Amino acid sequence: MLDKLFYQEKGLFLQSLHPLPALAYLGTLLVLALVFNHPLYLAGLLLVIGLTIWAAEGLETWESYLKIGLAMMALVMIINPLMIRAGKTIIWYGPNVPVFGRLTISLEALYYGIAMSVRLLDIISIFCLYNLIVHPDKVLNLLSRFAGKSVLVISIATRMFPIMARELENIRCVQQMRGVDFNKRSLKEKVKKCSSLINILVLSSLENSLEIAEAMQARAFGSGPRSCYRRSLWRPRDALCLSVSAGALGAGIWGLLHGFGAYAYYPQLDYLLGGTGTVAVLFIVLFNLSVPAILNWGWQHCPYLRSKI
Amino acid sequence: MSLFKIENLIYYYPDREKPALQEINLVIEEGEFILVAGGSGSGKSSLARVLAGLLPDFYGGRFGGKVYFKDRDMRKIDRRRLAREVGMIFQDPEKQLVMTGVEAEIAFGLENLGLPPKEMFRRVAEVISFLGLTNLRQEFTANLSGGEKQKLALAAVLAMQPQVLICDEPTSQLDPVAGEDFLNLVKRLNEEMGFTIVLIEQRLERCFHLADRVLLMEGGRIVQDGSPEQVARWAGKKEIPFIPPVARFFSLLGHAFIPVTVKEGRKYLKLSLEAGFASGSAKLALQEKEKHSAGSPKVREEEQDEEMLPGAELAVNREEPPLVEVKNLWFSYPDHKEVLQDISFQIKAGEFVVILGENGAGKSTLLKIMTGLLRPGRGKVFLSGHDIGKNNDRRATRLVAYLSQNPNDYLFQDTVEDELLFTLKNFDLGDDGIVDELLEMLHIDCYRRTNPRDLSSGERLRVALAAVLVTRPKLILLDEPTRGIDYRLKDELGVFLRGQVKKGASVVLVTHDVEFAAENASRVIMMFAGRIVSDGKKDEILERSIFYSTQIGKLWRGFGGGILTVNDALEWIRPLLQPKQVVRAGALE
Repeated sequence: MLDKLFYQEKGLFLQSLHPLPALAYLGTLLVLALVFNHPLYLAGLLLVIGLTIWAAEGLETWESYLKIGLAMMALVMIINPLMIRAGKTIIWYGPNVPVFGRLTISLEALYYGIAMSVRLLDIISIFCLYNLIVHPDKVLNLLSRFAGKSVLVISIATRMFPIMARELENIRCVQQMRGVDFNKRSLKEKVKKCSSLINILVLSSLENSLEIAEAMQARAFGSGPRSCYRRSLWRPRDALCLSVSAGALGAGIWGLLHGFGAYAYYPQLDYLLGGTGTVAVLFIVLFNLSVPAILNWGWQHCPYLRSKI
Repeated sequence: MSLFKIENLIYYYPDREKPALQEINLVIEEGEFILVAGGSGSGKSSLARVLAGLLPDFYGGRFGGKVYFKDRDMRKIDRRRLAREVGMIFQDPEKQLVMTGVEAEIAFGLENLGLPPKEMFRRVAEVISFLGLTNLRQEFTANLSGGEKQKLALAAVLAMQPQVLICDEPTSQLDPVAGEDFLNLVKRLNEEMGFTIVLIEQRLERCFHLADRVLLMEGGRIVQDGSPEQVARWAGKKEIPFIPPVARFFSLLGHAFIPVTVKEGRKYLKLSLEAGFASGSAKLALQEKEKHSAGSPKVREEEQDEEMLPGAELAVNREEPPLVEVKNLWFSYPDHKEVLQDISFQIKAGEFVVILGENGAGKSTLLKIMTGLLRPGRGKVFLSGHDIGKNNDRRATRLVAYLSQNPNDYLFQDTVEDELLFTLKNFDLGDDGIVDELLEMLHIDCYRRTNPRDLSSGERLRVALAAVLVTRPKLILLDEPTRGIDYRLKDELGVFLRGQVKKGASVVLVTHDVEFAAENASRVIMMFAGRIVSDGKKDEILERSIFYSTQIGKLWRGFGGGILTVNDALEWIRPLLQPKQVVRAGALE
C-alpha cells in the first residue's frame, strides 16, 4: 500500500528528465512556495503543481499525500485563528479561557490560516511530485560526484529500510506466537516488549551487514579509487525545463523585490489584486512553471514535438 | 598451468580451535565445472571463500598452506585484479545487493574497478541483454522476485567479466523453477562462454549431472574428488547421503554403472527390468504390479520401526472431529490482491500435511491465517471447534506453534535454554521437564548455555523449533523449514516431526522440497494462485504430478505405481533381486 507513495517507473515524459532540471524545477517550486505570501500566488502554485502531478499520472498518489496534508491543514486553520490576536476584524467572541483570556477569531487570522494551509499543501504536493518524477538513484548519481561514500551509505540505507520494516513485522508476528502480548498491560511493559523486537532486529541486521560487506568486498569495493556510472542523457526538454525554472524563479524574485507576491494580513487584510503588476508577475511565474506539463501534453499528442524535444 | 592450485591448506576462523579447512590439496583447471557437496559445517563455503580471496583477507583467522591462482600466490595478487578474475555469488540475494536500482546495481562492481564510463555502459548493456533483464532495467531491486534478484546478482558479477564464477548455494532461497533457471544459466556460462564454475549446492538432484567433477567435503577435508559417477558410487558404498536419489538407488543396488540423471536412470531401469534384474522374473512381476498398481507399496511393518515409518499417520482417528477446519476462506491484502480464494479443508489430529505450490500461491498467507496472525477476509478457521478469528486468545496461541522462514527472528536471549524458558514464561507455564526433553530430542542439549547467535544455521533452526514447541502445541506450522539445510539435517527434522505426529500433534508444513514431502508427509495439498488444486494422500498427489514429483518418482513413472522415495523403490524391487543384492538393499533399513 505504501508503494504508491514512492517512485514507480511508468516511462513518462517527466520521468525522462535529467535529474538536474527536474531538481531545479522542484527547487523553484519549493523556494517560491516558501517566499510568496500572497494567497493568489500560493493558490496558483498549488494549481500548477496539481497540473504537473496530473501530467505525471499521479492523482491517485496525490490523494494519499493530500489525506495527510488535509489533517494538518485543518489543524493549522483551527489553531492559528484561536492563537493569533493581531487581526482587527473580529468575527467571533468566544468564552474566557484560563491563561489565554477571552478567545476571539479575527477575519485576518482566519485568512492567514487558510493561506498557510495552502502553503503547507504546496510543500506536501512538491514532495509528492518529487516522488513521482525523480528516480532516487538518478539523484544519488548526480550527487555522487561530490560525496561518493555518503551517497553509497544513503543508497544502502534506502535499500535496507523496506527490508527492515518487513523484518520487524515478521519478528513481531513470531514473538506474538511465542506469547508476547503487545497490546495489553502498562506502557512500561509495552516499551520493554517493543525493545526486545528492536533487539532482535539489531542483532540480525548486524549479522546481515557483515554479509553485505563481504559481498561488497567480493565486488572490489574499497580496492582503489572508484569511477562513477552516469546514464542520464541531456535532451532539449532538459534545457527547456531548466530555463523555464530559472525564468519562474527570476520573475518571482523580481516580483517580490517590487512588492508583488507579498501580502499583508495584519492588522487588516490587503487588497487581493493590488494592480496589474500582481497579475502579470503571477501569470509569468505560473506560465513558466506550467511548461513541463504543457511539454508533457505535446510529447503525448504531437509526434513532431516529441521528436524535437 | 592450472587455474587454482591449493597446497596443504589449513584455516582456522578467529577464536576457533577447530580448523574450518584442513589438508586441502586441490587443482582446478580452466573451464571445469566443479560441484562441491557435503553437510553443513563441512567447509564448503570456507573453501569457496578461499578461492574468491575472501579468506583470510575479510575474516582474519589463522591460515596455513599455499593457494595459487594462475601460478601466482593468491595473497600477493592485488584485490582489484583478483575481483576482475574471480566473481562470487552468495546464498541470499537480499544480502548481496547494494543499490536501489537494477542498472546501478550492475554498475556497482564496475565503479569499484574504476572503469571509464564508456566501458561501463558497454558492459552493463551487454550483460542486461545476455540475461534478458531489459524489462527490469529501470526497476527497483526491492520490487524484484527472489529469482530475479539472484539473476541480478549474477549480472552484477558477470559485468566484471571474471574468468571464474563461484556460487555458494545460490538457489537455496529460490523456488524450484527459479532455481532451475539459475542453474541452467550457470551451465550455459560454462559450456558456451568457457567460465570456470565452482558450485556449492545442497539440492543435488538439480545439479549433480551438470558438473565435470564433484568434491565431497566432510570435517573441513575433501574426502572424495572425481566424476559425478565415481563420487556417487563411492558415496553410495559409504552410505553418505550427499548424492541425488537416483544415484543413491542404483548405488544401493550395487550396480557397476551409476546413473546420475533421470534420463540415464530410466534407460538403465528399463533395461534392468526387461532383463528381470538378473533374476528373470522382473518383467512378469512388473506386469503383475501394473495390473494391481493401486496404492503405494506396502512396507513390511514387522521389519520397520513404527516411529520411522515415512508418511506415518498413526494417530489419525477418522471418527474424531477435526483439529483444524478451514471453511470457505478468502483473503486479500490491502493492495487488493486476492491471495486466497475459497479455501476449505480439514486437518485431523495426527496428520502430517505438506502444502506445495509456486511462489505467490498463498501458502505462507494461509499458514499465517491458521496461526491467527492474519484475520480472514471471508470464511472461518476453527481450531478444536473454536473460531480462531474471534477467539484470538492466549490459550489458542499456546496450542499453535509457528516456525517462520527465518529462525533468527526468534533468537535474542543470552542462552539457548533462556529462549525456551522465555516462551514458557510468556504463557505463565512452568518447566515440567519439557525443556530438557526438547533440547535432548533436537540434539542441542550440549548448547544449553551457549548464545543461540553463536550457533550454525541448522542449529539455530532447531533452537527456534524448540522455543515454539515448549508449550506442547497441538498444531505445528512450519514455513519452509528445509531451506538451505543439508540432507542429514533434513532427515533429522523429518524424523523429529514424525515423532511429534505420532504423539498426536498435527504438522502443517509449507515447502518447495518435494523430496522432503515424499519422505515425511501423509497428505499433500497443492496450491496455485490462491486456490487448492489438489488435496489428498501423498502418493496420489505426487504420483500424478510430473513437475511436483520426486526424482525417484520421475525415474519410476510408467514402471510402477506409488514409488516416490528410494525406500519405496527398493521395496518394490526387492522380490526381483538376487540374494546378494537383497543384503545390500537391506542395509538401508
